[in-house]
Amino acid sequence: MATSTYLSSPNVTVNSVSLQDQCQGLTFTRTIEALESTAFGSGSRVYVAGLENSTLTLDLYLSFAATETYATLKSLVGTSTTVSWSPSATSPGTATNPTMTLTGAYLEALPYEMALGALGTISVTFTGGVYSVVEV
Amino acid sequence: MKYTILSPRIGTPGDTYEPVDGVNVEALVAGGFIEQSTVKAPKGAKTKTDTNEE
Repeated sequence: MATSTYLSSPNVTVNSVSLQDQCQGLTFTRTIEALESTAFGSGSRVYVAGLENSTLTLDLYLSFAATETYATLKSLVGTSTTVSWSPSATSPGTATNPTMTLTGAYLEALPYEMALGALGTISVTFTGGVYSVVEV
Repeated sequence: MKYTILSPRIGTPGDTYEPVDGVNVEALVAGGFIEQSTVKAPKGAKTKTDTNEE
């Protein structure tokens, strides 16, 4: 049985900045809104595709050092940018290692907490944008 | 507008950064990843004007 195991090499870039060494998890949900088109005579609900509204959540370590996580994200709140990710940083953009991209993804918030003795982390969610995949 | 890469997170420091569609360049500048190149346009040759009236 073929499986995908993510060890050390998945890659992620935010606004063309590689955050591979700061990212510990990623959740992508491709969503195309369902518009109900059920009419008289239907025995079950019927839907058609609406607008695409995908979301990508990145779980990152929160470093305030120069050119790290905070420096990457601080000016992106309230704007749209491009986010890309691939299962492996080695030779991305192939059939077995596709590069996924959200272009024009909106970052609404930069939520984080500071706790004494804890490693700082942050989860940021990019919403919307145009989804594309390179898997030549 | 020309930009120079400062951080290895986006490329080789010192190389020219070519903005890509959809990328927020101002955020990269604010984060210290790139800087606007300060190459000045060459000055034109000075011309001497003869103001002596004889």
